[in-house]
Amino acid sequence: MKAVVLDGLVLGLQFGLLGVGLTLVYGLGGVLNLAHGQLAVLGAMVVALRMDAGSPAVLAVLTGLAAAGAVGLLLDRTLLQAVYRRRGESRVLLGLLLMLGVAFMIEGFLVWRYPIESLRLRIGGDPVDILGVGMRTGSLLASAIAVGTGAALVVFFRLTPLGKAVRSVIQNEEGAQLCGVNPAMVRTLVLALSGVLAALVAITRSMTSPVPVDAGIDLTILALIVAVVGGLGSVSGAFLAGVLLGIVNTVSAHYIGTYVTTIVLLGAAAVTIVLRPSGLLGMGRE
Amino acid sequence: MLEVVELSAGYLGENIVHEVSFSVAEREVVALIGSNGAGKTTLFRAICGLLPPSRGTVVFDGGRITGRRAHAIARRGLAYVPADRHLFPDMAVSENLDLGAYPHRPARERRQLVFDLFPRLAERSRQAAGTLSGGEQQMLTVGRALMANPRLLLLDEPTTGLSPRLAAEAYAALGALRNHGLTILVAEQQVPLALQLADRGYVLEDGRIQLDGTAAELGQNPDVQRAYLGIA
Repeated sequence: MKAVVLDGLVLGLQFGLLGVGLTLVYGLGGVLNLAHGQLAVLGAMVVALRMDAGSPAVLAVLTGLAAAGAVGLLLDRTLLQAVYRRRGESRVLLGLLLMLGVAFMIEGFLVWRYPIESLRLRIGGDPVDILGVGMRTGSLLASAIAVGTGAALVVFFRLTPLGKAVRSVIQNEEGAQLCGVNPAMVRTLVLALSGVLAALVAITRSMTSPVPVDAGIDLTILALIVAVVGGLGSVSGAFLAGVLLGIVNTVSAHYIGTYVTTIVLLGAAAVTIVLRPSGLLGMGRE
Repeated sequence: MLEVVELSAGYLGENIVHEVSFSVAEREVVALIGSNGAGKTTLFRAICGLLPPSRGTVVFDGGRITGRRAHAIARRGLAYVPADRHLFPDMAVSENLDLGAYPHRPARERRQLVFDLFPRLAERSRQAAGTLSGGEQQMLTVGRALMANPRLLLLDEPTTGLSPRLAAEAYAALGALRNHGLTILVAEQQVPLALQLADRGYVLEDGRIQLDGTAAELGQNPDVQRAYLGIA
């Protein structure tokens, strides 16, 4: 049981990182990024291809992160500008459809060009004893990266002027403008950041199990569940939801069976939404 | 300091403010008097860049700012304090103040100045802004605007929702700011308070400037007395 919960915690931190990007992009501009998982896979595939070409792992990972971030930035500066010009329902709808199209395009391209590619980062070393449970080095490194990144995000959002500026735009865009914050700049930055975070999740996942070229849709759905359960627009909510759902995921996979975990996850999400429509830590205002 | 020339602005192609011209000199306090719906807020939003004007020009501090975006105008030192406050409700009072200084880190002296002016904010600096009372939120909005050390303060109905006592306190704080040498343009329905503070004033009705003069002149004007001061 302890091992299962610990595994779930590791997975949950990754879920959290995956959900944070989605929740921030939605909070800032009302765009539900349905290509989130595909951006993650795009980053992972760049890593795999660079390593196939003989590049050292660290360099390949950095290239993959940068690639996902660059695509996020590009999407914001081009396609999404048309979305931001609209208001209300039509903005949400257009954003949804455009990003769904982007998801198909990214996944279609990758599957067409690299149909059997997958990323598997093998981390050597013997299992390490944590609380009496033997943890594989790969999953330890993956959780260390998730914890480190999560902590860095907390520092960024709580303590730096730019991080506070991001939160201010989510809470009141006009108020932020009156303080000298440029919402367009903040949105571009956050879409790039969410791309990097998504790719980071796919890459760290590959330290414990392979990430195939068509994993995008699963990751997108996972990110959606985490963001909705945590409350769209809430960073800490996404992490809380990620950890809870990660534990639910591994516990149900262990005791019930892998084939029902998705159903259990969706069930947990549905129950949360019924009980708290704005999510665990949602703003509940909009 | 501020020169507005034949400015028109409105929503959905319909102007609410029509060819308004006025000016504010450095270190001057100017009152913009008008009833509800006269166009004060529309005029302010057009000046500070939240609403693109349909025609006319705005010159601030020697440079044309017409059509610039709000964040760029704010960074030039024009601070707008909206009547509906636009605070960040889930963030702490101190964080709201910090954002006022964006993109810089807030200077300690600046924060001290705001706390000296509004001691209540110091007491509640760790509380979420959304949990403050209406009067405290109003103080926070003014305080946030002051954090950037602005050259010009635009106040839209700073007494909205305040009791008469709190309104008088708010104006006392504004008087202290004027003594610091700050230039202020204040839109107000509570005309006696505004005219006590201001050097000059303009009367805005139906989106047009109908009258202007020194605060004393406006206070003596029979039309102003009848419409805004309750003197028959």
